[in-house]
Amino acid sequence: MSQTAAGIIFIASLILAIALVHKPLGDYMARVYTGLRHNRVERLVYRLVGVRPDAEQRWGVYARSLLAFSLISILVVYGLQRLQDKLFLSLGFAPVPDHVAWNTAISFVTNTNWQAYSGESTMGHLVQMAGLAVQNFVSAAVGMAVAVALIRGFARRGSETVGNFWVDLVRGSLRILLPIAFVGALVLVAGGLVQNFTGPHEITTLTGGVQNLTGGPVAGQEAIKELGTNGGGFYNTNSSHPFENATTWTNWFEIFLILVIPFALPRAFGRMVGQLRQGYAIVAVMATLAVLSVVLLNVFELAGNATVPQAIGAAMEGKEVRFGASNSATFAAATTLTSTGAVNSFHDSFTPLGGMMTLLNMMLGEVAPGGVGAGLYGMLILAVITVFVAGLMVGRTPEYLGKRIGAREMKLASLYFLVTPVLVLTGTAVAMANEAGLAAMLNNGPHGFSEILYAFTSASNNNGSAFGGVTVNTPWYDVALGLCMVLGRFLPIIFVLALAGSLAAQKPVPASAGTLPTHRPQFVGLVVGVTIIVVALTFLPALALGPLAEGIH
Amino acid sequence: MSAQTLEAPQAPRRVGGGLLDPRQLLASLPDAARKLNPATLWRNPVMFIVEVGAAATTILAFTDPSFFAWAIAVWLWLTTLFANLAEAVAEGRGKAQAATLRAAKRDTTARRLRARTGFDWDQVGATELRQGDFVVVEAGEIIPGDGDVVEGIASVDESAITGESAPVIRESGGDRSAVTGGTKVLSDRIVVQITQKPGESFIDRMIALVEGANRQKTPNEIALNILLAALTIIFLVTTITMQPMAIYAKAVNPGVADSLALTADGVSGVVLISLLVCLIPTTIGALLSAIGIAGMDRLVQRNVLAMSGRAVEAAGDVSTLLLDKTGTITLGNRQAADFMPAPGANHGELAAAAQLASLADETPEGRSIVVYAKETYGLRERAPGELTHAHWVPFTAQTRMSGVDVDGRQVRKGAATAVMKWIREHGGHPTEQVGHLVDGVSASGGTPLVVGEVADGKARVLGVIHLKDVVKQGMRERFDEMRRMGIRTVMITGDNPLTAKAIADEAGVDDFLAEATPEDKLALIKKEQEGGRLVAMTGDGTNDAPALAQADVGVAMNTGTSAAKEAGNMVDLDSNPTKLIEIVEIGKQLLITRGALTTFSIANDIAKYFAIIPAMFAAVYPGLDALNVMRLASPQSAILAAVIFNAIVIVALIPLALRGVRYRPSSASKLLSRNLYLYGVGGIVAPFAGIKLIDLLIQFLPGMS
Amino acid sequence: MERLPGWLRQHLAALRAVAVLTLILGALYPLAVTGVAQALFNGNANGSLIEKDGRTVGSSIIGQLFTDGDGNAIPRYFQSRPSAAGDGYDPLSTSASNLGPEDVVDTLATDGDEGRQSLLTLVCARSKAAGELEGVSGARPYCTSDGVGAVLKVFPDRAVSVNQACPAAPFVTVYQGLPVQCATPGEDYAAGRTVPVRGDAPAPAVPGDAVTASGSGLDPHVSVAYARLQAPRVAKERGLPLDQVLTLVGEHTTNRALGFMGQPAVNVLELNLALDGG
Repeated sequence: MSQTAAGIIFIASLILAIALVHKPLGDYMARVYTGLRHNRVERLVYRLVGVRPDAEQRWGVYARSLLAFSLISILVVYGLQRLQDKLFLSLGFAPVPDHVAWNTAISFVTNTNWQAYSGESTMGHLVQMAGLAVQNFVSAAVGMAVAVALIRGFARRGSETVGNFWVDLVRGSLRILLPIAFVGALVLVAGGLVQNFTGPHEITTLTGGVQNLTGGPVAGQEAIKELGTNGGGFYNTNSSHPFENATTWTNWFEIFLILVIPFALPRAFGRMVGQLRQGYAIVAVMATLAVLSVVLLNVFELAGNATVPQAIGAAMEGKEVRFGASNSATFAAATTLTSTGAVNSFHDSFTPLGGMMTLLNMMLGEVAPGGVGAGLYGMLILAVITVFVAGLMVGRTPEYLGKRIGAREMKLASLYFLVTPVLVLTGTAVAMANEAGLAAMLNNGPHGFSEILYAFTSASNNNGSAFGGVTVNTPWYDVALGLCMVLGRFLPIIFVLALAGSLAAQKPVPASAGTLPTHRPQFVGLVVGVTIIVVALTFLPALALGPLAEGIH
Repeated sequence: MSAQTLEAPQAPRRVGGGLLDPRQLLASLPDAARKLNPATLWRNPVMFIVEVGAAATTILAFTDPSFFAWAIAVWLWLTTLFANLAEAVAEGRGKAQAATLRAAKRDTTARRLRARTGFDWDQVGATELRQGDFVVVEAGEIIPGDGDVVEGIASVDESAITGESAPVIRESGGDRSAVTGGTKVLSDRIVVQITQKPGESFIDRMIALVEGANRQKTPNEIALNILLAALTIIFLVTTITMQPMAIYAKAVNPGVADSLALTADGVSGVVLISLLVCLIPTTIGALLSAIGIAGMDRLVQRNVLAMSGRAVEAAGDVSTLLLDKTGTITLGNRQAADFMPAPGANHGELAAAAQLASLADETPEGRSIVVYAKETYGLRERAPGELTHAHWVPFTAQTRMSGVDVDGRQVRKGAATAVMKWIREHGGHPTEQVGHLVDGVSASGGTPLVVGEVADGKARVLGVIHLKDVVKQGMRERFDEMRRMGIRTVMITGDNPLTAKAIADEAGVDDFLAEATPEDKLALIKKEQEGGRLVAMTGDGTNDAPALAQADVGVAMNTGTSAAKEAGNMVDLDSNPTKLIEIVEIGKQLLITRGALTTFSIANDIAKYFAIIPAMFAAVYPGLDALNVMRLASPQSAILAAVIFNAIVIVALIPLALRGVRYRPSSASKLLSRNLYLYGVGGIVAPFAGIKLIDLLIQFLPGMS
Repeated sequence: MERLPGWLRQHLAALRAVAVLTLILGALYPLAVTGVAQALFNGNANGSLIEKDGRTVGSSIIGQLFTDGDGNAIPRYFQSRPSAAGDGYDPLSTSASNLGPEDVVDTLATDGDEGRQSLLTLVCARSKAAGELEGVSGARPYCTSDGVGAVLKVFPDRAVSVNQACPAAPFVTVYQGLPVQCATPGEDYAAGRTVPVRGDAPAPAVPGDAVTASGSGLDPHVSVAYARLQAPRVAKERGLPLDQVLTLVGEHTTNRALGFMGQPAVNVLELNLALDGG
């Protein structure tokens, strides 16, 4: 079988698997977030935390709880890194430098998992487990909580509250992420991933050389890293490292883990608003964009249209033999379409247009299907904006799921979709205009520019992958990208929660023949079109000076 | 509610508008130029940015003159001017109307009564009148202010505000008591209690409305403005942040010579501003206020005054329409629809007697019997004078009968009970079958009239006339259309449920409210609103006022009371309740026009990118010339062509903005598809053609190669 | 707690929540996974270690160098792919090259500066070396015969073969009528237009994975094509019949999982161990 044929079956099998799983998983998640009962562990947790799980919160309180939790999380992860030499399981590593620690703390709390450090030579096991892996869980749970709050905004009639953050956080972590991650971790160990507490240990190779094999609780962290669309690798080379991604089928499984929750959440959305077809429409938008992107990335990488890939005969630089160009491209698409940022091959060495696709995927705003939770709420915002323009065109005050999209809703949606482009473009521009910014490039010419653009796109969209060449472990980049991550995560969250509050307070308008139907292919096509056009219009000049300049001859 | 109009719903099925006269454009130029004042323009952020850009470009053209820079500067100013022109033209149409109204508002003097009942009056200026003052107005005088007639009856010429030359009757008490300042009393003498505050007369408000003087932005307009502002910010950021990127691109290609667009200092200011102006949504930004003004104007052309733009917008959102049966759904009076002979009589006999008995009945019902007899039985209409010996018995409310005594024969026609009683008095015995016929007519929603005669001392019933409420032609189709638009129609009537149902079925409304009291109406509106629906209704009586106020769109009839006019948010000067349907359509059309032009505006950007990006960067990265799909002649001509297209498209779309996009009532899906193809796909394609065409023309200008 | 101001209460709750969740997700979870993994998949969980003669010689899923102390290939062994991890296959500094697809211009070494090889030149040099080692042609498109990127910087009056330091002979003498010169180290050619020249090289004999660094720098595999290319040399060095070596290659080839996942790959360490063992 040719690589192309195998690659197509690979993609098809993933689509099939996700299609099979998204219904039961989506329904399960809907039940988790709507259920009234707390199990014993949860009741204990609530008692220890000191919150009343049945107290509903207004959006403002919900947001403040979320921000408080995230702030404390940042401080804890920062502290763990700075004090790691004083604690156990440090493997003898020194404290992480302050700017790296700040960047890393923010990076993991914001679900970005941008890595300004090299895992195997910086972080001890305690930091990895108690700091980073915990955030892999809870930052994902926070994303889902925000999405669920927004869903409640659509589902509720004239309600002042949007749920309870602590309950959503705990349920998301313990009932959804934990069981799947546990099973996933064991599957990955079966595939060859390591799971132990040893540090580096020296062996003598067959030819008498010295090699330091590294251990660690990798599989457990790998599972939640993909499942929670986090992406921060245990090792520097992330999911290309054989200990993180040992075989061709662990590669398949990791992609599956990356996509499974984001694609199942629209089902939960459909369930919770009581109209499954609305969920299908959303998932159809995500799937259309995703399939388009995966196919294009495969085409570009397999065609290998650039000087060096032409010289090599295939775009194999930075790719593993066992994965090959096609499965590497599919992984790259999955990781950038979601806000994962894990990599099994190095995007910096992709063909220019293949690299551009990874950039574009992130520029879509991480909505196809996006990060856990974040993808859904991002997509719903795009749906709101689409509904607004389309709704005017049918001659009515626009409404989505019966909720009117008035000035306040539009203000919040507009602010949401302003945040990331402004961060990406301003960040890139500032970097391009100062020495500290320019010095980081590994490559020169348009490709060097792409590296910087990629870094700010990745950080602002909370993706975390990198055009690896850029030297970002400098105080300037740690601070700049840290700001992009924290603003790119929490400003949109605040706007989404405010929107949730304002929608929840509305009484729905009953649908009629005059209402714009938001479950038909027509609407799906429209959202896809709006998403692509808005992104293209925003980023075309930047793309023209980076990947397009490099890729079109 | 009074029956107003007998004409069928108006024939034109689409909401159109006046065509744009090129002279209007010219006439509005001075106004457009005045609007260049930044102090007023800043309220439109999109166009304000264009003006700032135009000013900056002008300065750049001075400091570093080139034909290209000057051409761009000129066209950017024109872009701003064209945007103002759109608004000025829209306002200009209103101004013409306002001028007519002002003529009616000539300085009038009032004769203010010192006491409500007295005859002593003082001559005061109309502007000095306060609420509650009483004025006396006699034939030939102008009514000095809005108010209610409290004494007397008069015919009034209201053509100044309605355009309708036939005088109307205004009398104290009842629902036809309201008079409007500026109208002229033609006969008799009335005393009017002033209800307006000084300077807030109906005419004052009309003038303000048609001029758009203190036009408030409507909710959807505000929301749209927010979206446009967000897009503008994005494109501002996109263009500004491009500069360091461009400087870098130039720096890593030191071998490339400086071009007009790109030097070591980055993209030249003129080009950067051109790109910005092309990207920000200038088309919709320029036309947005014109669309709003024109929407109000379209209502005014239909003799409907909306007190706020918000009401017009709400009309588009209406999902429940409350329609009064009489005058809206039915012609407003009952007509003969059948003659049903009693046993022992035949059709011919009955028809002749019915006609004879109705000749003296001047009520519409009576007339309709004569007409029906003529049309169905070919009975010639006889004038009462023809039968010289006849004694005519006219219809009165007391007898509830009309008829004639001729040649010893008495014929009567009237309410069933009255005629039956008359028959019995003359010794007749109506058969049971007659009772059945009468009940049958009542059951079907009709009104039964009985025809009887006393001839040769023998009294007998000849038969029953079926009077029917006649539904206006085309109403069923209209309601089907409404249903397709997702609007529920509810008929309001004082009839009993049986009658109401019969008419509701015939007219094809979705629901009806029978034996409706004003309280019922109000309750129904509240119930609908509770379910999230927007309700529109018409009304004219004082007892309609609470419901009019509660409804999201309340259209008061101009003939109605001041209370009704105060409570509603629209006034129909023609007092035609059917117009509610048109108002809804105009509301929708207004929103659609905004949505369509927004889509068009954004879709346009794609082609502009394909023109400008290769023009800026193909020099450093020759590969990017592949994006120049239009094969534009040179970077300069490409940029200038994009700017010119951007300006011209505003002027080209002014007629559309004023007229509104074509609206055919249909489902949301179909509407969306149609508009998407037209304004979305069209918006992507049109500029490719337009820019290419302009480029073909301007490439021969100096400095374009 | 109830008497505290709201914002403080929230942060206290947050602090407790982080603590409780860290206990569950940061301690209990990894411990549980480790326990079950160690019990069920002991070998995998500890790194798939391989022993030879009672001595751990590596991990079956981590690639190794098969070179001598000077970094030269030991001909008896199948060679792994080039690696960007440290000095090659160093798990303590895993890395990819991260060089871009249009990275074609070298910075030539001067007295004060050791220069920088572009990705194209790296590929060309590796191809040339592998070709020499295996006794086949190392020629590739866009490569000069001396194993650097065939790239010109074109100026109005001349062209420079920018990766070929003088006194090397440029790979072409004339480009579109312009004379082609060799490059002087230290001279700035940035102003020239970059033109990679494909040349007329046939389909390369050395497979792509042999001239590229992997993503992890620890790739345990080479392609089947690269293994088959190396087989004659290894057979000759070891005095084994080629067929036997090829059979071993086949035995250590991992095919696509389920027939469609990934690419067929040959595990180099296991193959070399099998050779040593047999």
